[in-house]
Amino acid sequence: MRVYSIFILFFIDSFLPSSSSSSSSKHHFLGISPQDENYYKSSSDTISCKDGSNKFSKSQFNDDFCDCLDGTDEPGTSACPTAKFYCKNAGHIPQFLFSSRVNDGICDCCDGSDEYDGQVKCPNTCWEAGKVARDRLIKKIATYKEGAALRKLEVEKAKVAIAKEEAELTLLKNEEKVLKVHVGELKEHKELIEKEEEKVRLQKEKEEKGKREAEEDLREKGKADKEGKVEHEKVEEEASTENQLTESSHDDIIGNVEDSSSKEHALENTHESASPTTEDVSSVATEIADDAGSKISPDVDKKENEVLSDISEGISREELGRIVASRWTGESTKNQGSNKDHADDSHEETPKDTHDEQYDHHATDTVVDTGKDDNEKYDYEIDDEQDESYEEESHDDMSSYNYDDEPDLSDTTSSYNSSWLEKIQQKARNILKAFNLFQTPVNLTEAATVRKEYVDSSTKLSKIQSRISKLKEKLKHDFGPEKEFYAFYGHCFETNQTKYVYKVCPYKQASQEEGYTSTSLGNWDKFEDSYRMMVFSNGENCWNGPDRSMKVKLRCGLKNEITDVDEPSRCEYVAVLSTPAVCLEDKLKELQHKLDLMNKEQPREHDEL
Amino acid sequence: MKMKQVAFLFLIFLASQTVHSWKKDEFRACDQTPFCKRARFRKPGACTLIAHDVSISDGDLTAKLIPKAPHDQDQDQIKPLTLSVSVYQDGIMRLKIDEDPSLDPPKKRFQVADVVVSEFETKKLWLQSASAEKINGDDGGLSSVVYLSDGYEAVLRHDPFEVYVREKAGNRRVVSLNSHGLFDFEQLRVKKEDEDWEERFRGHTDTRPYGPQSISFDVSFYGSDFVYGIPEHASSFALKPTRGPGVEESEPFRLFNLDVFEYLHESPFGIYGSIPFMVSHGKSGQSSGFFWLNAAEMQIDVLAKGWDAEGGILMPTEQSRIDTFWMSEAGIVDTFFFVGPGPKDVVKQYVSVTGLPAMPQLFSTGYHQCRWNYRDEEDVENVDSKFDEHDIPYDVLWLDIEHTDGKRYFTWDKMLFPHPEEMQRKLAAKGRHMVTIVDPHIKRDESFHLHKDASQRGYYVKDATGKDYDGWCWPGSSSYPDMLNPEIRSWWAEKFSYDNYVGSTPSLYIWNDMNEPSVFNGPEVTMPRDALHLGGVEHRELHNAYGYYFHMATAEGLLKRGDGKDRPFVLSRAFFAGSQRYGAVWTGDNSADWDHLRVSVPMVLTLGLTGMTFSGADVGGFFGNPEPELLVRWYQLGAYYPFFRGHAHHDTKRREPWLFGERNTALMRDAIRIRYTLLPYFYTLFREANVSGVPVVRPLWMEFPSDEAAFSNDEAFMVGNSLLVQGIYTARAKHVSVYLPGKESWYDLRTGTAYKGGKVHKLEVSEESIPAFQRAGTIVPRKDRLRRSSTQMVHDPYTLVIALNSSQAAEGELYVDDGKSYDFKHGAYIHRRFVFSNGHLTSSPVGNSRFSSDCIIERVILLGFTPGAKTALVEPGNQKAEIELGPLRFGGQHAAVAVTIRKPGVRVAEDWKIKIL
Repeated sequence: MRVYSIFILFFIDSFLPSSSSSSSSKHHFLGISPQDENYYKSSSDTISCKDGSNKFSKSQFNDDFCDCLDGTDEPGTSACPTAKFYCKNAGHIPQFLFSSRVNDGICDCCDGSDEYDGQVKCPNTCWEAGKVARDRLIKKIATYKEGAALRKLEVEKAKVAIAKEEAELTLLKNEEKVLKVHVGELKEHKELIEKEEEKVRLQKEKEEKGKREAEEDLREKGKADKEGKVEHEKVEEEASTENQLTESSHDDIIGNVEDSSSKEHALENTHESASPTTEDVSSVATEIADDAGSKISPDVDKKENEVLSDISEGISREELGRIVASRWTGESTKNQGSNKDHADDSHEETPKDTHDEQYDHHATDTVVDTGKDDNEKYDYEIDDEQDESYEEESHDDMSSYNYDDEPDLSDTTSSYNSSWLEKIQQKARNILKAFNLFQTPVNLTEAATVRKEYVDSSTKLSKIQSRISKLKEKLKHDFGPEKEFYAFYGHCFETNQTKYVYKVCPYKQASQEEGYTSTSLGNWDKFEDSYRMMVFSNGENCWNGPDRSMKVKLRCGLKNEITDVDEPSRCEYVAVLSTPAVCLEDKLKELQHKLDLMNKEQPREHDEL
Repeated sequence: MKMKQVAFLFLIFLASQTVHSWKKDEFRACDQTPFCKRARFRKPGACTLIAHDVSISDGDLTAKLIPKAPHDQDQDQIKPLTLSVSVYQDGIMRLKIDEDPSLDPPKKRFQVADVVVSEFETKKLWLQSASAEKINGDDGGLSSVVYLSDGYEAVLRHDPFEVYVREKAGNRRVVSLNSHGLFDFEQLRVKKEDEDWEERFRGHTDTRPYGPQSISFDVSFYGSDFVYGIPEHASSFALKPTRGPGVEESEPFRLFNLDVFEYLHESPFGIYGSIPFMVSHGKSGQSSGFFWLNAAEMQIDVLAKGWDAEGGILMPTEQSRIDTFWMSEAGIVDTFFFVGPGPKDVVKQYVSVTGLPAMPQLFSTGYHQCRWNYRDEEDVENVDSKFDEHDIPYDVLWLDIEHTDGKRYFTWDKMLFPHPEEMQRKLAAKGRHMVTIVDPHIKRDESFHLHKDASQRGYYVKDATGKDYDGWCWPGSSSYPDMLNPEIRSWWAEKFSYDNYVGSTPSLYIWNDMNEPSVFNGPEVTMPRDALHLGGVEHRELHNAYGYYFHMATAEGLLKRGDGKDRPFVLSRAFFAGSQRYGAVWTGDNSADWDHLRVSVPMVLTLGLTGMTFSGADVGGFFGNPEPELLVRWYQLGAYYPFFRGHAHHDTKRREPWLFGERNTALMRDAIRIRYTLLPYFYTLFREANVSGVPVVRPLWMEFPSDEAAFSNDEAFMVGNSLLVQGIYTARAKHVSVYLPGKESWYDLRTGTAYKGGKVHKLEVSEESIPAFQRAGTIVPRKDRLRRSSTQMVHDPYTLVIALNSSQAAEGELYVDDGKSYDFKHGAYIHRRFVFSNGHLTSSPVGNSRFSSDCIIERVILLGFTPGAKTALVEPGNQKAEIELGPLRFGGQHAAVAVTIRKPGVRVAEDWKIKIL
């Protein structure tokens, strides 16, 4: 009865009110949305289906028989599969139900209006539910308010920062131009000097040839000794690596292999121009490493073969079980031997870039801002001292460590850059002037000065160029319609979930870390869903599956933090990042409107109760 | 997932292997299987056994089989074999041949227990006498002839021995055994000193302590153009010859229950289940059948015409004939000959031996949603609510192995599923059910009560040395309860009580997987043949029935749990003859490709023909990611499988029906909806299967036995006698050729268009549905209202769809009961027969039913009816109902209309008549 009375209140003067006393017509007005009330207020005897497919008479309205394919005639019954049932839910939010819920024995509307055939009795819970919903909404609105303010701040900050960077870029481009010319001049001079020196050297060489030949035997002997020693050391190193292998998970193996390989690279690089003896050492080391690698793989190849084509001879029953199981699961068989091999493979397959990046990654761990987010903080830089005491090696190292770009010059260059530039130019001019090219033999001190100046300037140039390309790289990103995501650049957000640490670095990549092992869940791809989602794609491939990928849903919140990570399909991750960046004013208005509506209806309903 | 970099590397390593993952080498081919190889070398006429001492004894025709030339040196080991022919009601002859127990064989051969139902013995006809007969062309040799049934006789020819059944009229043979003299019975004997009985295969050694003991023989089907049956193989419905002229691929059909990783869609190799029952059918419109009750590895050759050209044995040639050759590694000859003559008769005869299919719960005939794995309670809740959000009905949500605590069945992962009961109650509140997996491998973990209990009681299968057999499966090191032992089965059954299975509720049912049994480190991924079961029975003797016993024990557990009142639902992967009594099966780990969609039809047809009517294939394909089009087509076809479940491997992308865009969601919803609207029809068909064995999904020729064009058609199938369905098996198909059998018309379910029978129609393909037709002359009951699950449909009104034949007549049935209990066995059901003729639709009872229902008929749709009439008169009550043009069905884009009687309002449980005025 109560349900009926509620509806009669809102269903004013529709057709057939006169026969409303009969029991069957009690439900006659059910399920009609306020927007549709007028539609049924027809003066004629028949009403058209909204899709025009048919007509129905007033007596066929809500008569529990479907006359319209689109359900126009049966908003209040389950007769038309496509019909929608409207519950008023006074005190709470009105709701449209699929007709499949009408009289199905389950209470769906909080006002209970969807169940009227007597199967079940549904209590009206709208008031309680409505209060909970309203409270939640109020909270949400508060968050949105505060979030929107934060967002505004961010947007402004971002605009300033971007302008600054753009200005810097312009400046750097100018400097680049000037320095280029300057370096060109120095280079020319340096080459002239070198030509002269070459002449002198050839002369000397001739003289010393005889002497050197005499020394040859002695040197051979010395080298052999050193080689033996190196070999010994390498073996030890290998052994210790192997020990680690057995203790740690296979992922660590990859780390180790990479580590040692980068060491090798470093070695090689460092000694490019070094004495022949050292060069030999490094090549021997490489050889040994290569050897170790190739030793492992045929071994394991054989193992795989045994297992997969010659099943079970020579492996334990347990191994066989694991391997067969792994066909279904795709999981590793935890067989150390084969893991090792795979690790090795990866080394070969992984492009250098990637592993450099991973390497970087660990190095930068310390500077990763986990979202406490202070815009300045991430601009960590190699300061002036470093700049001055700059050396090629250290430069290499630093740039490879730098994930968050900004090695740098940034402020230095832009602040007192002009004076610096002038200084360097002046210095060069002096040097060039002082230097007499045609003096023979070449004045060694002056030659060294030219060389040093050349090295210094070209280093400076390459730094400027790298800064330029980094700025360009950064500024080309999509920071959102109001640059509200600018602050995400160079930041990573982390969350711990049972076994793993998930790390989301917008504009870069997402990863899953377990101990020292990092698995790429995808590289930055784009925003989706009108900036409500960040997409990372083409992560590491899953066995028998897709490349890993991650979608990060953005939710309005006061802090930048990951609140949830999930893997609904294997290797397809979904995370939720709460951030003020998506606390939009429009949405706030919408929510406030919704609350207003709820409040407006609340007292009336309450009175009725 | 937890996969780390290594997995990525694995990919590189295994990439080449995943393409063709089925590893032929891991499974024994016939020529690597000594008994099979030996048997295939036998020449026709090699059998020299003759029937001796033929007599009637204990109601059977008995004889001894002895070599014709006993003085032969090689034959000195052959002792007489005992032969008995028994006769049962309805045209069934049973032939048994075994070693003579009075001659002290080294071991009693295994006879499969608990498959032949006890009622069958009550149908035995006690033979009083045999008549001796000289049959023309038999070189004057004697035959003993006994009565089989009206019109049929069983015959034992003495020399050489041969057994057959024949029609009395014209002495027309039906099925015969040893007509080609290929019979061989390797008797158990004492090992000679220099003999090596061991067999080795890929590093596994089978000790074979009892040596060779195989049996082989030829069976001929007369008046036969095709043979069918002997599941489970992924191959055509009509069995292709495996040997003889024109046969290239020369593997016999293998019956050996195996967990085959990524099985091929066209192969005679054995997969998860075995039913050694073959059905023949021919131009005469007649069928016959042959069943060998033997659970050892079996290999069966279908011999191409002319295979015996060199054998020089002349057979009666007036009839077309198919010869087959049956080989088994062990056991005895315990065979059943079914005379038919109709296809349905053969099935009925077969189920009278092995039992009627269980009556399923109504909910289990709806749609099942499964995935390896729904990970946690939140995931379950989410998937469940998405079905509601998209208004897609479903009945059961499934949990695969990851829901357990470390693959210890009957337990829950406490992190992922901390509140299993609450989770089930939430589903149950929406009328939905849950199924969890329980596999036979038990984790060897002393702290696991089940393992501790089983090992202490000595309940595990033993290895050849007598220790608990220790194999490797999901949990790692595992052992397997000896399900042959009834005591162990009842111990197992107890584990399903609510007390023992902590976290289970009455809405929870069970899935038995890996029960071949699958053993990852065993030979051919199963248990060693020399493992030991109850009474020293070797695993080789019962291998094919292990999964059957396990399924049986589980079903009995659920039965006990519900005090015998709640019908069990247990899905099993392995099966054997008789599994139909215990639940449903599915076709295992198929793949997401069109070929697997295609082969699912012959596979399901074959299962139905051999009693296992409650079957289906994983919709979408287990391995791999289906294109949305394939997935949609699979739902459209799967909606007509008797068992309708979507399932996927954990490496695949999520593929619940709402994940592929609105259009595809709508298509899949519509496919699932069609199943739900047809549930009253399906349930009626399940009841038909439950009383007759006639399958829910059947080959065209079962309904049209004389229509030759239908004999090898396995792309279309009948659902009951009324609907014909054909899948779309290719991508972007524009046209499809559909053969519609018989003389009457067929009505397109979607458009209502009539098509003539007896011809191939080239039809345009719609993305909305696969071709499906209602046969003229039938009445199909539907429920057209959409609900969350079948549970909420109980009170919904019915629609009757009447497809009129050329004489404006039609008939159909409806069966209704409570959908859960066994009260129907005591008459608590409604069974109506609807007949339309002379413009009158009449509802009358079938049998004596005592069940009430408040359901009415809301709509009667008439196809093939000339419009014009405006009113119908409903009796009793003489109320009028309007006749108008109304929608043929809801959903889909086509608003096809048909003559509709609006709201006749008659009660489904009552007698009534509707007269069109």
